Amino acid sequence: MQIEIRGLRKVYPGGVVALEGLDLSIPPGVFGLLGPNGSGKTTLMRILATLLEPTAGEVTVDGCDVRRDRSAIRNMLGYMPQEFGFYPTLTAYETLDYLALLCRINDPTERRSRIQEALGRANLEEYAARRVGTFSGGMKQRLGVAQALLGDPPVLIVDEPTAGLDPEERIRLRSLLVELAAGRIVILSTHIVTDVEVTAERLAILHRGRCLFSGRVSDLLAPLAGKTWVIDIDETELSQVRQDSFVTGVFRSATGMQVRVIAEEMSHPRGQLAAPTLDDAYVSAMQQEAEFVELQ
Amino acid sequence: MSCSDLRAWAAVARREWQVSRRSPAFWTVAALGAVLAMWRSSAPGTSAALAAYQTEQVIVLGVGVIAILLSGSAAARDHRRLCQELVFAKSQGTTASLIMARFVAAALCMLTVAAIVLTASALTQRALGGTPLRLAPYLAALARSAVPIALAATLGFALASLFTTPLAGGVAAIYWVAVPLARSHIPIAFDFTLSQHWPLSVLLILAFIMLTAGLHAYPVRSDRRRARHLVCASVVLFAAAALAAFGIASAGDDGLLGPDPVLAAMASQTSERHRRAPGFWLPDPNGRIVGLSDFFGRPVLLVFWGPGAPRSARALAVVREVAARHRDASLAAIAVCLDRDAETLGAFVPEAGDDVVLLWDRGRHFGDGLEWSDSPAAVSYEVTEVPTAVLLDQGHNIVQVFAGEDGLDLVQPALSRLVGKE
Repeated sequence: MQIEIRGLRKVYPGGVVALEGLDLSIPPGVFGLLGPNGSGKTTLMRILATLLEPTAGEVTVDGCDVRRDRSAIRNMLGYMPQEFGFYPTLTAYETLDYLALLCRINDPTERRSRIQEALGRANLEEYAARRVGTFSGGMKQRLGVAQALLGDPPVLIVDEPTAGLDPEERIRLRSLLVELAAGRIVILSTHIVTDVEVTAERLAILHRGRCLFSGRVSDLLAPLAGKTWVIDIDETELSQVRQDSFVTGVFRSATGMQVRVIAEEMSHPRGQLAAPTLDDAYVSAMQQEAEFVELQ
Repeated sequence: MSCSDLRAWAAVARREWQVSRRSPAFWTVAALGAVLAMWRSSAPGTSAALAAYQTEQVIVLGVGVIAILLSGSAAARDHRRLCQELVFAKSQGTTASLIMARFVAAALCMLTVAAIVLTASALTQRALGGTPLRLAPYLAALARSAVPIALAATLGFALASLFTTPLAGGVAAIYWVAVPLARSHIPIAFDFTLSQHWPLSVLLILAFIMLTAGLHAYPVRSDRRRARHLVCASVVLFAAAALAAFGIASAGDDGLLGPDPVLAAMASQTSERHRRAPGFWLPDPNGRIVGLSDFFGRPVLLVFWGPGAPRSARALAVVREVAARHRDASLAAIAVCLDRDAETLGAFVPEAGDDVVLLWDRGRHFGDGLEWSDSPAAVSYEVTEVPTAVLLDQGHNIVQVFAGEDGLDLVQPALSRLVGKE
């Protein structure tokens, strides 16, 4: 099972280019899609979910083309969109039953067991008989995950699943995604770097429809090893440090302020080498892209 | 389609029905319809047939119009609730069978409203009307309501589904071209009181739903062949409907396909004089609906006449003269025109004058004999001859019936006695 994307281009009516010559290979496991708003993540997700047709290029899921084999792809795909709603008057069980029927799970016994399994995975068993209109935002997100799991699909696409969730729900959902990644492809699109850091083995960084990086998380971090520094500073020093080096983050610490810096060498007396994080790598990639665009 | 597919399709339709049935709009419409039907059936002495007939009018006019809105809302539900991506990403999400299931559920919901309204009417008629409860007229009224409600639901559903496509504009354009061209033929072809017009409505329902389902399924390559078949079938059905409409508008014989228990019961209830007069709602030349109940508390002279019947030519002059003479006694003079052509009615507006209410009970007659099977009000008053005058007292009980041209001479003395007595 592999998703192959070659030369993918999507231009919306009106000439807005959402994706420009994208090449990606997505193997089983959690695959993070990182990028700022408007980078083309949702467009890519919708093309994979067969809701949008690409303008050019080739996208195959386990050898099935998104244009020609739409029905086959939908059968092996669970999709949780960025923004979605449910019919508020149906209960959670009835909602999943309705959506399971649309997944062509026609046998009532099989449907019942699949729904129970999906409810269990999303930790919604005790709310099965409750109307969806009374659900909180987090419960609706979990129901969104449950409906995506209905057909036990080998490919799961989740778009900004943790948006609007409280910390506990967010942790629970991230754990669930890691659990689900066993034996299937889970594509997680988000602009929250931490979500990808704790769940994904591989990732792609998109920016203005182009892929800035694609590969293992460790490969993204490797070039920053030995170049990432942490400096404890006074608040008055911040502007000077910003001027001298490339700052990837500023944090409050017990002693005052701490900044993370990427630099070949450290001239500051309190500078200490640190392990690079995905935040550092992401900010660095975005900075490099901005410099590249400026040069052009 | 296998048996398992059919069961799954029915299960989808059931869930769709649950979604519609549990909406506040459904219960609001049902409650309003029930209150209206209870009000129409609560007068003492109202028979089951009259109550069913009046409730049927409430359903066809009120529930029918609301069916357009509610079924349209069901068709657009996914967009409104932001469910479209969840639904469309499923393998059945854009197929014709989902569209069909959703439509059937929406239409069934509106029929459920009709059944609730008729039940309220029956219970009220039994409790307050004081007459025996009979089920046949109510069942007949439900059956007769089914076609206009289904057609209204179809139009709302199809237009809402196709609203985002250029086809919706095309349908609207055809409608606005057809109305001036067809003029008075449109109300004749869509007269839901006539069961022989049902095939036309059924053809239109099937055509619209097949077209909607076909166009929805068309973008999916694997479903394209089936979608093409559905669109072709809908074109054939539209052509058949056009032929049926043409046939109805130009038919020489409009006899009913079968006996109608509601009309038969209403015709029989007036054989007893001094009973309550059957109520009616009929359009005036401007299309405004006027009911007999609008004149409650006033004596009424009701004259059935037809411009094409030679011996009834005098009727309009007589009723105008009587109305002018008894203006002080608050007499309501109503001239009910029995003619197929709405334009003919319009030509008589100046002749009726200001004192006479001119109404239209579409009908057809040969000389002075009336082929009244398609004139509900004439049926309910047992009119067999044109002109016929009926005199009602202030409580709208039938005082006297005057049949034929000679009968017109007796109207004046009888009216004087009634007004003088009262």
